[in-house]
Amino acid sequence: MTTSSKTRDLARRLLAYEAAAAKTSELEEAVTLRAYEKLRQSLGEFVGVAGFQSLAFRALTQAKSEAPGLWAVRIAADGSLQGLGEFRLQPGEFEPQPGSGKDQASEGGAAIIARLLGLLLIFLGEALTLRLLRTAWPGEVFDDRNSTHGRNA
Amino acid sequence: MSIQEKVKINKLPTGVPGLDEIVGGGLPEFSFNIIAGAPGSGKTTLAHQFVFANATPERPALYFTVLGESAIKMLRYQQQYTFFDPAKLPGSIRFINLSQVVLEKDLGAVLEQITKEVEKANPAVVVVDSFRTMVRKPQSDMDLQSFIQRLALFLASWQATTFLIGEYAEDELRDNPIFTVADGLFWLRQTAERNSIVRKLQIIKLRGQDSVPGLHTFRITDAGVQAFSRTFGLTARKRNPPSDRRLCFGIPELDKMLGGGVREGDSVLVAGSSGTGKSVLATQFVAEGIRHGEPGIVAVFEERPEAYAERATSLGLDLETPQKEGKLTILYLRPLDLSVDETMHSILDAVQKIGAKRLVIDSLAGFEMALSPGFRADFRESLYRMIFALTGIGVTILSTVEVDESFTEFPFSTYSISFLTDDIIRLRYVSIDGQLRKIMVVIKMRGGNHAKDIREYEITSKGVVILGKRLTNYQGLISGIPVRTDRPESTEEPLLDTGIKHNT
Repeated sequence: MTTSSKTRDLARRLLAYEAAAAKTSELEEAVTLRAYEKLRQSLGEFVGVAGFQSLAFRALTQAKSEAPGLWAVRIAADGSLQGLGEFRLQPGEFEPQPGSGKDQASEGGAAIIARLLGLLLIFLGEALTLRLLRTAWPGEVFDDRNSTHGRNA
Repeated sequence: MSIQEKVKINKLPTGVPGLDEIVGGGLPEFSFNIIAGAPGSGKTTLAHQFVFANATPERPALYFTVLGESAIKMLRYQQQYTFFDPAKLPGSIRFINLSQVVLEKDLGAVLEQITKEVEKANPAVVVVDSFRTMVRKPQSDMDLQSFIQRLALFLASWQATTFLIGEYAEDELRDNPIFTVADGLFWLRQTAERNSIVRKLQIIKLRGQDSVPGLHTFRITDAGVQAFSRTFGLTARKRNPPSDRRLCFGIPELDKMLGGGVREGDSVLVAGSSGTGKSVLATQFVAEGIRHGEPGIVAVFEERPEAYAERATSLGLDLETPQKEGKLTILYLRPLDLSVDETMHSILDAVQKIGAKRLVIDSLAGFEMALSPGFRADFRESLYRMIFALTGIGVTILSTVEVDESFTEFPFSTYSISFLTDDIIRLRYVSIDGQLRKIMVVIKMRGGNHAKDIREYEITSKGVVILGKRLTNYQGLISGIPVRTDRPESTEEPLLDTGIKHNT
């Protein structure tokens, strides 16, 4: 099962917001980690540490299928994301073009966030998911006019 | 402030239709309550309804989830109910998971965590779901008692109305410190009765105000928990004074026999065996009411409303138009696990909606069959409550009941409910001249005189038509096997039981 374009778009908007919010340019994984931590804090409050850890583990497993570079990433017992900085090619793989590793890191981070959002949408539906995400991000991030879909429409 | 002035306890809406009436107008503000019951009895749903009805951004609700149902699944399921408003999350309603603290620490740490969150949010409502799982960990009775005392004191000081939800068995009611501390104790029961599920709610205790005692049925629908008070929500309403107004059937000879019609607000029983025309008589009664501008309700259990209306058409009675005009409601109450209270609720809703003056219940046997087996044992008692409540607000009720025809007895009803009725009209078959013919007699009229005559009738395309005068040339008519006598047929007008001729 792949993430829907809508979920990926939302994940990208969250990551873009985090990237823009940083005063200085950050590594992709730092942006992903900040977005992920916000999710962990806001969701962890109501689903609990174990509840969030389970969701995150499932999201990571799904994300690894579309971003194999995440193979070294893991979810700790407290639900935090570890090993994202080690985003790398699997042993034996080679980087086809210079810089493509960075793209993969970006895609990998977006994949984890998108999968996590996807699970929330499956379990809670769009209305409730967006209500919960609004505790961590400002409303304009969820405004459809800011989305790829909104612009394309 | 006068020293005689008592503190006024605000009553909060429970958010559960019917429950406010049961708890005496609403839940006391700042009360510390327990919702207890077996798994699946609706505890969480009830608490959610209260939370959604009372939480505001200024005074939010904190909903602490502990071990048990996962919070994400709880929200997944609860949002299916119509009362669940996602817009209230998380500004007005915050869900906080305490599982980790409970698993890894002691009750002191749990209290500390709750205290921290309450101080931060200043909530109007606090729910701990499930409290039972929290106190199941081994600890001394003293620890538990101290924890509950401190929790109750703290939450009351913070002016929070609290619900602790727990899975308890009824034998745990004794000697449990939680129940001692609680101001309110709501017990939800769910039992299987043959093939049906019967849900009942009891307010075991509620400090500060009168609640309606006893077991109240409730149902869980897509709107959440709906409770049905044993008093049908009519306790606060004054009973209408007895009326002298007479309501006609539109069958002139029968109306004469009834001294002009049945008294308004009476409960009338039409009893007879299958095919004697009970439903026809009932239809004529309600149709005549509509003709006089009295809206009516027909509660049918044995046939669908369309079929009922069609049959009326064959008798020359138009029930379609008054339905469209809002003057008639035909209620089809067929589910096999109804309680009388639910049925009553549907009827009352319909009565209030169209301002009904006449109600037909066709038939009591069908009504009984529509009930869950567990409620059938209380059928007479429930019927009594229902009739008392409805006639009290001026509705005239005509119920039909099928009786087994006997040639040795003349029963009025199989339910021994004649004491519930003001008036009884008995229909029966008799064997006369090689034909199975029908006779009618008014057995009783509590509020006035009635004819003692036994009259023959037929069911024609115009409905029930009474033939000729009283049958004076037969003896033993009510046995069903009369004997012809030498007396000539009567030509007299019906005599009321005082012997006074009825004039119309």
